[in-house]
Amino acid sequence: MELIKVIVLGVVISFVAVLLKQIKPEYAIICVVVGSVILLGYILSSLTGVFDFFLNVVNKTGVNESLFYVILKIIGVGYLIEFSAGVCIDSGNTSIADKITLAGKIIILLIGFPVITNLFNMILDMV
Amino acid sequence: MDIDIIFKIAGIGILTAIINQILKIAGKEEIATFVTITGVVIVLFSVVSMISDLFNTVKTLFSIN
Repeated sequence: MELIKVIVLGVVISFVAVLLKQIKPEYAIICVVVGSVILLGYILSSLTGVFDFFLNVVNKTGVNESLFYVILKIIGVGYLIEFSAGVCIDSGNTSIADKITLAGKIIILLIGFPVITNLFNMILDMV
Repeated sequence: MDIDIIFKIAGIGILTAIINQILKIAGKEEIATFVTITGVVIVLFSVVSMISDLFNTVKTLFSIN
């Protein structure tokens, strides 16, 4: 049922966007952005249960919980960057989209950096 | 909630297009540009609040600070 709703929503949004492109091009971009916001806001809210389950699994394995949150953060940042880059590409300026993706990669590197330092410290302790 | 916002935007777009045509025929070009700008601003107000809602849900979901 969810699938049908998402598909119909996507088709309607793209149809309205094409229609608006002839009449008023600036509204087409806004319509696409609103459509993608609705489409994904609708689906994302159902993800919370999955992450709680993974959190329990991670707790059971005794792994440090902060690692799991780092992974979650990286997924979130990656998703937001992809969303905004997609909007920029749709509106035609791909150079801004490249800059956003570059910034996203740097942010992900910064988020993952403490994990790497922990790893090196552990190795140094063992040596 | 889902579909009617998109149709609202489409309606505002078509409305501003019609108003522009009328103003163009009436010879008031500058008011036509004002109408276009106001139309875009009105639509942007509702769009911005929706985007901030999406970003907040993503932030809370992925526990980004």
